[in-house]
Amino acid sequence: MDVDSASQRFLGLSGRRWRLGAIPGPLAQMLLVAVGYYAAARIGFAFTLQPHPISTLWPPNALLLAALLLAPARAWWWLLAAALPAHLLIELQSGVPTTMVLGWYVSNSSEALIGAALVRAFVPGPLRLDSLRNAGVFLLCAGLAAPLLSSFVDAGLVRLIGWGERGYWDLVSARFPSNVLAELTVGPLILAWAAVGASGLRRISFTRHAETAVMLLALLATCLMVFDLPRTSTRIAPALFCAPLPFLLWAAVRLGPAGVTTATALMTVATIWGAVNGLGPFTGSTPQDTAHEMQLFLIAASVPMLLLAVALDERSRAEREAHEQRLQLTHLARVAMLGELSGGIAHELNQPLTAILSNAQAAQHFIANKTGTPEVLSEILQDIVASDLRAGEVIRRLHTLFRRGETQFRPVDLNALVGEVLDIARGDLVTRSIEVRRHLGAEIPAVSGDRVELQQVLLNLVVNASEAMSAGTPPGRRILTVCTETQAGLVKVSVIDSGPGFTAEQHERMFEAFYTTKAQGLGLGLSISRAIMRVHDGHLWGDANPGAGASFHITLSAA
Amino acid sequence: MSSTQACVSVIDDDAAVLRSVGRLLQAAGYAVQTFSSSQDFLTHPDGGAPGCIVIDLSMPGLNGLELQEALARKADCRPVVFISGRGSIEASVAAMKAGAVDFLTKPFDERQLLGAVGAAIELDRASQGAQAERRAIEARVATLTRREHEVLVLVVAGKLNKQIAAELGTAEKTVKVHRARMTRKMQVDSLAELVRTWTSIQPPSASSA
Repeated sequence: MDVDSASQRFLGLSGRRWRLGAIPGPLAQMLLVAVGYYAAARIGFAFTLQPHPISTLWPPNALLLAALLLAPARAWWWLLAAALPAHLLIELQSGVPTTMVLGWYVSNSSEALIGAALVRAFVPGPLRLDSLRNAGVFLLCAGLAAPLLSSFVDAGLVRLIGWGERGYWDLVSARFPSNVLAELTVGPLILAWAAVGASGLRRISFTRHAETAVMLLALLATCLMVFDLPRTSTRIAPALFCAPLPFLLWAAVRLGPAGVTTATALMTVATIWGAVNGLGPFTGSTPQDTAHEMQLFLIAASVPMLLLAVALDERSRAEREAHEQRLQLTHLARVAMLGELSGGIAHELNQPLTAILSNAQAAQHFIANKTGTPEVLSEILQDIVASDLRAGEVIRRLHTLFRRGETQFRPVDLNALVGEVLDIARGDLVTRSIEVRRHLGAEIPAVSGDRVELQQVLLNLVVNASEAMSAGTPPGRRILTVCTETQAGLVKVSVIDSGPGFTAEQHERMFEAFYTTKAQGLGLGLSISRAIMRVHDGHLWGDANPGAGASFHITLSAA
Repeated sequence: MSSTQACVSVIDDDAAVLRSVGRLLQAAGYAVQTFSSSQDFLTHPDGGAPGCIVIDLSMPGLNGLELQEALARKADCRPVVFISGRGSIEASVAAMKAGAVDFLTKPFDERQLLGAVGAAIELDRASQGAQAERRAIEARVATLTRREHEVLVLVVAGKLNKQIAAELGTAEKTVKVHRARMTRKMQVDSLAELVRTWTSIQPPSASSA
């Protein structure tokens, strides 16, 4: 137990800070790397164009590099060590001398280490392909520099050990593109799916899964036709190389980095598998030429698609964040407004509580005096029930306003909404001695909107009006008028007060954020109300009344 | 005046509160009249039977404090108990300054309400008694002739019969006759009692001057 927790601390994998940390225990992670390395090497061997000895796509190094990028630096040596048994197991089967096998382990590990160290120098912490910058760093450091530098190491070791007849630069030029392709297809695939994670996969909707399946099947069918048909005497039309492009674009635009890396991997497998089996359009004069042709094609197709997916993903995340911020700010302003109303709300709750208590105590007297007829007592109980329901309704309304939710468009009856808003503000209006007049139009069509946000807009206008009047109007002349009407397909709600109105400067600036004339106002009410109306494709504006006071109007299209 | 049951008028714009408070006071043995607004109360007089008035502070139209003012202008001096769903210090200070007996914050317990109403009615009874006596004395004063009234004022001021006669320009004997008649009409047995009776109906500022 001590050993286990110590190694966990050493690897830094105990928390959820690191992506690999989601998998329980560092030993499991090492096992995962070993198994992955072995499987990747098997794929690498399968993708070798005989008799050319170097694979078209050599994924173990890319897998190792991706594993390092997801782990903290202090775990790197353990993960590299985990790959050694897998490396020996598979390479020793091929009859290569042990020194050469170990040499390849050194060059493979050096590729992973160089790439990981370079990337980490620019992006601290586990790498996520969630910005163009990160993707660029990955492409240059892991996709280009690491394979290039390690290929020099690799070719040097091969020459030093004296394995085979090939020259130094020949070895470099054969190994480099194979590893670049692996880094560009396998690396992003692992990083993107690690970012999605098991929990993210569960959150993806069924329709999105179905769309992914359709896209992959269509891409597979296209790739099979373009890259895996028997070679005919005539060469395939170059235009056909573009046939998979729409599906890659589909993946990049709709399915994000995970989708596009999966699609690219599928196309890569289909292409190389065809060439290995003597199928498809890639027929160079030598196996090495064929490999180079394919590598160039696949690299040229995958890099822009990956960058496009990352750029779109980054932008949609920025939009989501902006949307989230708007929701937060809206909620903040709503809660602040309810704070201003708290005295009135307490009044609205105290009324039914008083009625309940007095009724119950009256009933106790009636029973004690034996003067309570069943009729009187049942009337009292009915009143208690009604008051209790009323208090419950006040709390329910408040709860909806306090809650933070997504904007949801539903049909809204504005006359009913006006009633609810005036109910919420009633305590405040009554204690400020404000007389309320309603002129609600008959047959007002429903509008489409978020009930809570529209309530917030109207409540804000009512609170502003009531505060303006109680500050500068004698009690007998405080009149709040709320009107609803239909005008040319638009539903209009007006909140009119008999307060002091506003100056030209206030008229100019009142919709600005943080502009306020109140001693304790945030200055957010009207600017957020206007933002809410914009989201609803509606309008909000204010006019000075010809006599005294101000009028605010909102318009919304009938649903 | 035959009934000893005190009458409580309750004014609250909230129907549920109005009904329940009315019921509670009724259950406690008071005659209760309820009104849903200040205007309703002012335009439908409750007869001014002895008792007290329970007023909600926050009401649309004329609020509780304004109603209290209107009542003072109408010289309706029944004690007032305020009830409020939103206790503000300013409002309660204003209400107490204007002579309210108590200021209860909703929701209140029956002990608070019945205690305040009981105290208000006690106060009303006491002031009703004092007023009745005052009216009786005033009625007696009203029976005096002008000359008897003049004599009364001078007697209470401590003048001797001789001085009064000189001041009024009559004979001392005549003053004695007026004085005897005045004393009988005022139903007092001594000069001391006359002085006490007379000062009890003087406005406070005049008696202290």
